[in-house]
Amino acid sequence: MKLSAQAKQVIEELKSGPITVSELEELGFDQSMVNRAILELEEKELIELEEEEEIVQKITESGKNVAENGSPEYRLVEKLRENQPVAIADIENPDLAIGKGKQKNWIDIREGEVYLTEDGENAEDGASRKLNSENFDEELEDRGLIETNILVEKKLIPTEKLEELDLDDIEQEFDVEADVKTPRTGKRHFYKHIMDQARQTWLEMGFKEMTGEFVVPSFLCFDALYTPQDHPAREMQDTFFMETPESSDLSGYGASVENVKNTHENGWTTGSTGWGYDWSMEEAEKNVLRTHTTAVSARKLNELEKEDLPAKYFDLSRVFRNETVDRHHLAEFYQTDGIVVGEDLNFRNLKAYISEFFERMGFEEFRLIPSYYPYTEMGVEVQVFDEAEEEWIGLGGAGMFRPEVVKPMLGFEATVLAWGLGIGRIAMRSAELEDIRELYRNDIKLLEQTPKWRPENK
Amino acid sequence: MSHIEIDKREFEQLIGRSVSENELKEKASNLGAHWNHLEGPKWDVEVYPNRPDLLSVEGLARAYRGFFEVYTGKEEYEAKEHEISLEVDSSVEDVRPYIGGAVIRDLELTEKKINGLIQLQEKLHETMGRRRDKIAIGLHDLSELQAPFTYKTVEPESVDFTPLEHDKPLHLEDILEVHEKGKEYSWILEDAEKYPIIVDANEKVLSFPPIINNQLTEVQPSTTDVFVDVTGKDRKAVRKVLNILVTALSERGGDIESVEVDGEIMPDLGSESRELDVEYFKKISGLDLTGEEIVHRLEMMKYGAELSEGVIEVEVPCYRNDVMHQYDLIEDVVIAHGYREIEPEMPEIDQIGGQEAIEKLTDTVREIIQGTGALEAHSFALSSDEKLFENMNIEKEKVARMNNALTKDYSVVRNWMLPSMMQVLESNRHRSYPQKIFEASDTAVLDDSDTGVSNRRKLAYVHAGEVADYTDVKAVLQVLERELGLELEVKSAEKGCFRQGRAGDILVKGERIGIIGELHDQVVENWGLENEVAGFELDLERMMENI
Repeated sequence: MKLSAQAKQVIEELKSGPITVSELEELGFDQSMVNRAILELEEKELIELEEEEEIVQKITESGKNVAENGSPEYRLVEKLRENQPVAIADIENPDLAIGKGKQKNWIDIREGEVYLTEDGENAEDGASRKLNSENFDEELEDRGLIETNILVEKKLIPTEKLEELDLDDIEQEFDVEADVKTPRTGKRHFYKHIMDQARQTWLEMGFKEMTGEFVVPSFLCFDALYTPQDHPAREMQDTFFMETPESSDLSGYGASVENVKNTHENGWTTGSTGWGYDWSMEEAEKNVLRTHTTAVSARKLNELEKEDLPAKYFDLSRVFRNETVDRHHLAEFYQTDGIVVGEDLNFRNLKAYISEFFERMGFEEFRLIPSYYPYTEMGVEVQVFDEAEEEWIGLGGAGMFRPEVVKPMLGFEATVLAWGLGIGRIAMRSAELEDIRELYRNDIKLLEQTPKWRPENK
Repeated sequence: MSHIEIDKREFEQLIGRSVSENELKEKASNLGAHWNHLEGPKWDVEVYPNRPDLLSVEGLARAYRGFFEVYTGKEEYEAKEHEISLEVDSSVEDVRPYIGGAVIRDLELTEKKINGLIQLQEKLHETMGRRRDKIAIGLHDLSELQAPFTYKTVEPESVDFTPLEHDKPLHLEDILEVHEKGKEYSWILEDAEKYPIIVDANEKVLSFPPIINNQLTEVQPSTTDVFVDVTGKDRKAVRKVLNILVTALSERGGDIESVEVDGEIMPDLGSESRELDVEYFKKISGLDLTGEEIVHRLEMMKYGAELSEGVIEVEVPCYRNDVMHQYDLIEDVVIAHGYREIEPEMPEIDQIGGQEAIEKLTDTVREIIQGTGALEAHSFALSSDEKLFENMNIEKEKVARMNNALTKDYSVVRNWMLPSMMQVLESNRHRSYPQKIFEASDTAVLDDSDTGVSNRRKLAYVHAGEVADYTDVKAVLQVLERELGLELEVKSAEKGCFRQGRAGDILVKGERIGIIGELHDQVVENWGLENEVAGFELDLERMMENI
């Protein structure tokens, strides 16, 4: 019997039993190749086709809105919790909000005004929770928040004729134009590949890599970066505080601890007024999971000596935020931090480093716009222009470290250019992801099929 | 960051000229507040925490009057001599020690202006006020009140009044129990035995700071004269917030009148003097501007500025809370100059790049394992007891643990990698087998370092399939051994996560640096897998010490 190369390869896979078209695709066969092979094998009565239906559910546009902002009825409840009653005319999306709210017995309407019921007081936003946890049910479907599609899956069933066939008897028709099966290979993770490229870029620009620890004292994460001890970023909801080990011994930072204390309290010898409050050692000793890689930069400043200058360092690693994980938020992600430390550096130099980095990462246009961090001045947000989407996207912050950061940690005056940038969004665009959790989910199909990112082909 | 909603028409009225949409969209954000059009005349403005003076339409108009060069230079504010005094009883020291006060007369208010005022008040509470703990503000219609006022503390059950948003008098302690604001902010007074109140000459309660005001003094469109109180725990913040409020009200056409607070005349509307050295400016910014050009840009940012012999005397307005160092002035000058106008210039720094040894080794190891046909994974460092221990069939170990994690799923830092690999297999149950997965990444292990815990780079490799046994993974370990020129030894060992008789410790020069084995059937089942799994894990840092 004569068979094409592609049909023969499909037969190989059929040896272990029936197989579906998508399983074949997963194994590296491309779709047109599979279709041609199916026609050929059916004609020779080597296979029979069986069709199976698979139900696929996904979130619709209005579902996404509810997942992000809450359902209309729950938004109404929140509004009522703030202040009630509310006139019907002042309600956003009133048909849905009131209809559903009444149905759930969350609200009560008296004389054209809406009140919260006891059930409403204790209501939780089930719709948005179910959407975010992908726990789909009929109610979501009825509301058009999810849509269900039935995919027809073709399954190839080997016939008796195929089973009796001796594979060695098959003559292969050689078709140089046909696609063959793509082999499975070992491969770097697509996100790690982008990080490797970023790391490579800093190295090409002459930077040395610095590394640091996940768990750091608040001193390094906040105090050394001139973040006052009552700053909202230090409040429980943003930062992971450690139970084990609870606190750090700061004696390794030498005089810097006293310098930082004095700088916060009265400016020390930095030429600043300081924040003007009583600095607490106990607060500085508390261990946290670092919320930014700038903690690594702060540590490096503490290690540098005058004769090391000028010096430039980068870091690319994980940071942590105590957030509820959903399609837009993660409890950990990556940042790339950089510092350039010297006697004579200025804001124009900062702009040059950032522009060079992003140009090498494939972005032709970038801009700096005013922003604010307690530890930098100028404080800027870095944005690059995404040509595909025609929009500016924010990729992180940058600036010059304040003298209140530099002198206490370094021990002498210097100018320090600094930045902390995110590259997760580049990875999401490259793999065409809408859910940020996919960067960590390791779906084998996604890992295998995402092409290598190249800056010139971002 | 805070968002405020403002009306473009009001903004234009206050600034003194019309402003195009394009100006707001393109140019306005260059000042450092971001403008987004909502609908009609409504705009949303995002303000950074260093500029609480921009949290009102009045404050924004004042700043943009300079930035758009309608009227540059410092605004002058003056307070008329005081008619009202406020006594401070020393008992407040233990609860809420500081208070500031001022009067604004001849205001022409409307519903809309009052809403803007409430917005400013609420945003200041949230930001500088640290949710009313550090500072809290009260605004009162003066017409119902009789001076002098007194700030003191009283027993919780001894005083009652009808609070805003309520219909009958309540005792202070009941306000904390029953009233919505009382419930929301009672935590601030948690440790207080007596509660702070402000009363007038007839013992009428103005306010129960930081909780709620008396309904009697509610500011309404008919109100013309307003008494402002600011109480708090930080002397400087109280004064700044008072200045931000009274200058905003003055921008509205009100006349500021001072109040004698415990012998001190408030508010202090004088500016603070600072020096900006022209050469220092040039050095930090890299911009070659003349002294006059710098002065002009400072005036655009509403500072008073005068140049003499290379040094600029800068008058910092009383409502600015963020000028601590010359750097802050430099930033404002560069903002007025425009970040877009700045030409990048690469400095010459002769430095050769380089990586630490562990990073290089990690990359080499990744390349070797990838060469055996395995896919690299990328997993979370945060984990849970369930994943690290229970699912892996081993005793709970001491690990780096957070005390405030929102979910159990992210409540500890992993101390080994194999659980992460099992999770990868778990999420690929529907994909075809065999599956070969690896990752070289950071874990955290407790030790005697300054923090008590350090990162530890580890490598894990797993092979899952209908038949996946010890030899499959031992083969990969041997590839690693060959490529790195190592001499590894495996010694038979028992570990709960592996099948009995199919597990070993990996040693180099007699030191244990890892483990290898076939995953126990119970572990495979715990992760919802149906196939067989074998794997190994290596401590790359220990391995490096012994290469």
